[in-house]
Amino acid sequence: MSRGQFFRKREFTVLGLIVVLAIIFSLTTERFLSVSNLTNLLVQLAGTAISAIGMTMVIITGGIDVSVGSILGMSSVVAGKLLMANFPVVVILGAAIATGLLFGFFNGSLVAYGKIPPIIVTLGMLNIIRSLLFQLLGGRWISGVPPAIRVIGLGKWLGIPISMWIALILILFFTYFLNSRPLGRAIYAVGNNIEAARVSGVNLTRTILFVYALTGMLVGFAGLIYVARTGIVQTNTGTGFELEVIAAVVLGGTSILGGKGTIVGSLLGAFLVGIIKNGMVLLNVPALSEGLVIGALILISVVIDVVRARGERI
Amino acid sequence: METVLEVRGVSKSFGGVQALKGVNFALRSGEVHALVGENGAGKSTLIKIISGALLPDRGEIFYLDQPVTIDSPRKAQEMGISTVYQEPLVYNELSAVENIFLGREIRKPWGSIDWKAQEEKTKALFASLGLPYHFLREPMGELSVGLQQLVLIAKALAYESKVIIFDEPTAILTEHETERLFDIITKLRMRGVGIIYISHRLEEIFRIADRVTVMRDGEVRGVFSIGEVNRDRIVELMAGRLLVEAIERKGKKSDAPLLVVENLSKRGRFSDVSFQVFPGEILGFFGLVGSGRTDIVQTIFGLMRQDSGNIIYQGKTVHFSSPEEAMQSDIAYLPEDRKVQGLFPILGVGYNISITFLKEILGSFGVVREKKERNRGEEYVRRLNIKTPNLKTKVYSLSGGNQQKVVIAKWLGTTPRVLILDEPTRGVDVASKSEIHNLIAHLADEGLGIVMISSELPEILKMSDRIVVMHEGKITGVFDRAEATAEDVIRAATGERLISVER
Repeated sequence: MSRGQFFRKREFTVLGLIVVLAIIFSLTTERFLSVSNLTNLLVQLAGTAISAIGMTMVIITGGIDVSVGSILGMSSVVAGKLLMANFPVVVILGAAIATGLLFGFFNGSLVAYGKIPPIIVTLGMLNIIRSLLFQLLGGRWISGVPPAIRVIGLGKWLGIPISMWIALILILFFTYFLNSRPLGRAIYAVGNNIEAARVSGVNLTRTILFVYALTGMLVGFAGLIYVARTGIVQTNTGTGFELEVIAAVVLGGTSILGGKGTIVGSLLGAFLVGIIKNGMVLLNVPALSEGLVIGALILISVVIDVVRARGERI
Repeated sequence: METVLEVRGVSKSFGGVQALKGVNFALRSGEVHALVGENGAGKSTLIKIISGALLPDRGEIFYLDQPVTIDSPRKAQEMGISTVYQEPLVYNELSAVENIFLGREIRKPWGSIDWKAQEEKTKALFASLGLPYHFLREPMGELSVGLQQLVLIAKALAYESKVIIFDEPTAILTEHETERLFDIITKLRMRGVGIIYISHRLEEIFRIADRVTVMRDGEVRGVFSIGEVNRDRIVELMAGRLLVEAIERKGKKSDAPLLVVENLSKRGRFSDVSFQVFPGEILGFFGLVGSGRTDIVQTIFGLMRQDSGNIIYQGKTVHFSSPEEAMQSDIAYLPEDRKVQGLFPILGVGYNISITFLKEILGSFGVVREKKERNRGEEYVRRLNIKTPNLKTKVYSLSGGNQQKVVIAKWLGTTPRVLILDEPTRGVDVASKSEIHNLIAHLADEGLGIVMISSELPEILKMSDRIVVMHEGKITGVFDRAEATAEDVIRAATGERLISVER
């Protein structure tokens, strides 16, 4: 890749925006650059970044998953309940991931075998899971989570939160996966031209099932991190999380039309969303404007994407 | 009879290919004027110009003796020129009445649609043609193709059309529907409507046409009253003296067939199809679009399933339920339309090529060995002379010929034993075309069994060791290279049964 190409890439634009915002917020607020604020920012980001790995793949195939917020809520309830019952950490980790996998697999099956549009499938799941959550918690909270688990959420190594380290490792692994494994290539092929992928011998159902199931698993893990970080689970945990994840992916340059995108781009997108949210809190901007800014950013980047794609689809 | 539409000296070219060369054509009112010619003769281009879908580069069009510019299908329709396509273009969810009046609804004084008046008018139109009209309120999608056509004819009458173009109207009609259509055409003619009738079925033309215009290579080769011409003469003009320089062929390498297809049938698509493919030979498949050629090869490749009949590959009966399985048995299929089934537009050339053989270049932990992938990619770029800056260049930015070569490379990458090529040179420039031809011949000489479907007769005659001709889902002719003539192949493709060698 030549230098010119790099600067034209979406990742560069997003990186630039992050730097500019970071400078603005550190000049206008006292707390932005503080260790506690930056740590807090990174811990919050970790869950979004991990979930965005799966969402990137889903969107590359031309799909979408709006049920991730509810899945996050459900897996944190499962993790929270087991924690309160003093199960070993390994069991809780497994249970949180399995919860996510279960719902992700369900989404994937309906999209892959049922050939139902992903937005409909996952919108249905969003509501079903949220309703199950109400049944399970009955309006109560889970709080007072034992400290053993909270190291995942609050522990640090070399000054960086453990959860962020985990996110980075997963991002590295899945970046490699997407570029170098046949299944990763199949994901791009399906998003480019699903008919051509079928004729070229790509197993469509397996590919589609995989991306939704993987997203469920990763979100399940993010749910555990959430419990570990906050120590609290409520019935509305994870509400709106799906928009944050989709925003990160779309801002990071993954085409909503499918066919292209990178996980690293989504990480940068997650940073951008995280910094905006964080800075607005520090500036005492009313919480409602946060949606305005993030919504506008999503629209701008999708419009840029769609306009650019006009010459590319043949 | 007066001339209602006249085309004078019309030419049209598409990027270097001249589709029409100074065509003259005149249509009288009250006549059925048949337009015949091989694929690529220029019929569709002429029709598109008359119906406003294309503008001519040169030449004039006169309608009712006035020079006119027809720059949109809508304008053509409003002037009184309607087209009824083979597969009617309709709004499936809307009723027949709504389809007829879409965009020019009859309104009440205060602006709302006068449903009753529309329905009455439609009934009157149908009654005047002696047709039933009980289905007028049904959604179009639930009507048969034959009834949909009738609705479009009624629509043409609602516009008081003086010219109605029928583009292969009978290709997908039942016998009964065809008879009814002929009745209507006769009635339209008596009303003074000028009818342009395109069909590959010559027997129909002799039944209903008054005159016939034969086209070839973008030129008009003859205009005749139907009484002064016979079938052989028309076929001769359609075929012309084809200057085909057949390439040198060595022919099959073994008497043991690689692939045998036995009595393969699929309802509504093809029936009782049998043929064999030998190693080292090019088996040409000729037939008009819709003759079932593509359906047969897609069935072999696992994209469709037959109702009955067998596919025997290397001596064993096989059932491929997906392309993946067919590929595991070393069968490759280059699809007809690279845009729909071939290319991944925003992936690089390298990724486009390697997608079919990634599993063969895996290293430890199931990782694609990128060096090997790059080497193979570069090898194909060199061998097929693909003009691309590098392997990362996204394929949408390449020319049609180079895109086609990328798709071919993808299938060569699977090192197939049977290579099925569906229109391998469609939409490809002349230079790439001859490169692709040489490559195909070379691959056959290496021992591959090649099935090559093409709508272009010269290509079929140039390349094939044997030619299978199909018409409406059935094999109507099998010719050896030495004995195949353009006339015979066209005869078989237009429905005459001419199986000369059965093997």
